[in-house]
Amino acid sequence: MNATRRALILALIPFALGLATALLLQAISDGLPIIRLRADLGTWLALLGGLLTLLALIGVVVWAVAGRRLDRTLTEARQAQAEAHRRFLRRLDHELKNPLTAIRVGLANLAGTSPAEARDRTLAGVEAQVSRLSKLATDLRKLADLETQPLERAMVDVNELLSEVVALAQERPEGEGREIALTLPQAPWPLPQVPGDRDLLFLAVYNLLDNALKFTRPSDTVEVRAVEDGRVVTVEVADTGPGIPEDELSHVFEELYRGQGARGTEGSGLGLALVRAIVERHGGTVTVRSRQREGTVFTLHLPLD
Amino acid sequence: MPEVKILLVDDEEAITANLAPFLERAGFAVDVAADGEEALHKAAAFTPHLIVLDVLMPKLDGRQVCRRLRATGNWTPIIMLTQVGSPAERAMSLEEGADDYLNKPFDPYELVARIRAVLRRARPGVPPLSAARRLACGPLVLDRPARRALLAGRELPLTPKAVGVLDYLMTHPDEVISRERLLDTVWGWDYPTGTRAVDVRIAELRKALGDDAAEPHYIETVPGQGYRFIGTVEALP
Repeated sequence: MNATRRALILALIPFALGLATALLLQAISDGLPIIRLRADLGTWLALLGGLLTLLALIGVVVWAVAGRRLDRTLTEARQAQAEAHRRFLRRLDHELKNPLTAIRVGLANLAGTSPAEARDRTLAGVEAQVSRLSKLATDLRKLADLETQPLERAMVDVNELLSEVVALAQERPEGEGREIALTLPQAPWPLPQVPGDRDLLFLAVYNLLDNALKFTRPSDTVEVRAVEDGRVVTVEVADTGPGIPEDELSHVFEELYRGQGARGTEGSGLGLALVRAIVERHGGTVTVRSRQREGTVFTLHLPLD
Repeated sequence: MPEVKILLVDDEEAITANLAPFLERAGFAVDVAADGEEALHKAAAFTPHLIVLDVLMPKLDGRQVCRRLRATGNWTPIIMLTQVGSPAERAMSLEEGADDYLNKPFDPYELVARIRAVLRRARPGVPPLSAARRLACGPLVLDRPARRALLAGRELPLTPKAVGVLDYLMTHPDEVISRERLLDTVWGWDYPTGTRAVDVRIAELRKALGDDAAEPHYIETVPGQGYRFIGTVEALP
């Protein structure tokens, strides 16, 4: 509405200017004593018209160039999206292929396996692959749900949440006997509460900590810490593990992406994608810094309002 | 005891071909329907004691089947097999009057456990509590379409998930509900937080209800198993 009105006014300006100039020129050519212009009104108007046309042409050219640049940006974005989509399908295909192959082999094996315990072993293997596929399906649904579901927004106590995440991670097989250093500020005041979905925030921090434990050796250090600056609460999960190669860092949050170092490790390949989706739904950001052979730190910024 | 008849409705033959014999081995007489229309027909001809109903099917889907049965006054217990456990879907399912829900992919043993629990609770010809719009237990009233709970007329400040937990417990009174089942039906996901996520919401509910965990009036902890709603629940008109 406003934009249309502004455009209308802008369009009327040349006409108004032309009219004003014409009147002025008429006055000048009729009798100013010092400057006497030797052209009649028609010539002046023709010149003015030419000038306006020139300006308009320049405008049109500039507009067309800008439009084409916008088109190109849009096309590039669309291509990038299509490429991401293809990449996702390739990775999904890969993720499905392995468990399915294992199941087929297991079933083929079953027919020729005679002792009961060998059969049980094969069946247990098939069942493990089925669980793996179920986990993948569930994680994919979580990602899809995250984009559409309304977010529960209650005040979440970050102190309590982080303590619970650490306690739970230590109960897991990868975390057993591992020391996880948790640092929470007490002075001048403890961390404020963050508005959000407690279970989702828990899942985000848990996934980061679970990764840290999965990709490090028992002798490595794992730290969880948080600070606040009045606007955001910053949560960091850091480790002295093998680190992530630089060319992989920009991909780690992509769905089903697996770096070289992660190939042999169990997981759906969706953990970090979920972390990013959760944090972004909360209006926050997640970043990663890493040095090979030194370690990795993931940083969550969660806004306080 | 007469044989319990189950009507299994799913368009995926790969599922029914294995699930029907599995249910038969569990002691039920099973008939199978491959789509919604066949389900309506067999619900009348086979007169099952319970229907296991898939949601996504060609022709008539599971929701429509459920709605049509209920509209004709047929209150045969129904367990719906859902694909997605989103809150929106659960809110919708309230209108349909199914007795219970199970997310795909499910554990077949869990299905048998649910069938038994639903049959224990069901009274022939009477709508289940899960089809009621409002439930009451003494001064506690649950307004299900509005997703809010009132205690002595005053609205309780509860998070949506706490209301979801209360809803599931109140529609399944006297039944021990495991934390895993609450996660599956209310959250729809398996969280690594697992049981803790449930415990947090139960604590929230108890605080709002003024319920003492040691001497509960509403929600009882069954050690090692889960939670049970111990009050008497009735459907309000």
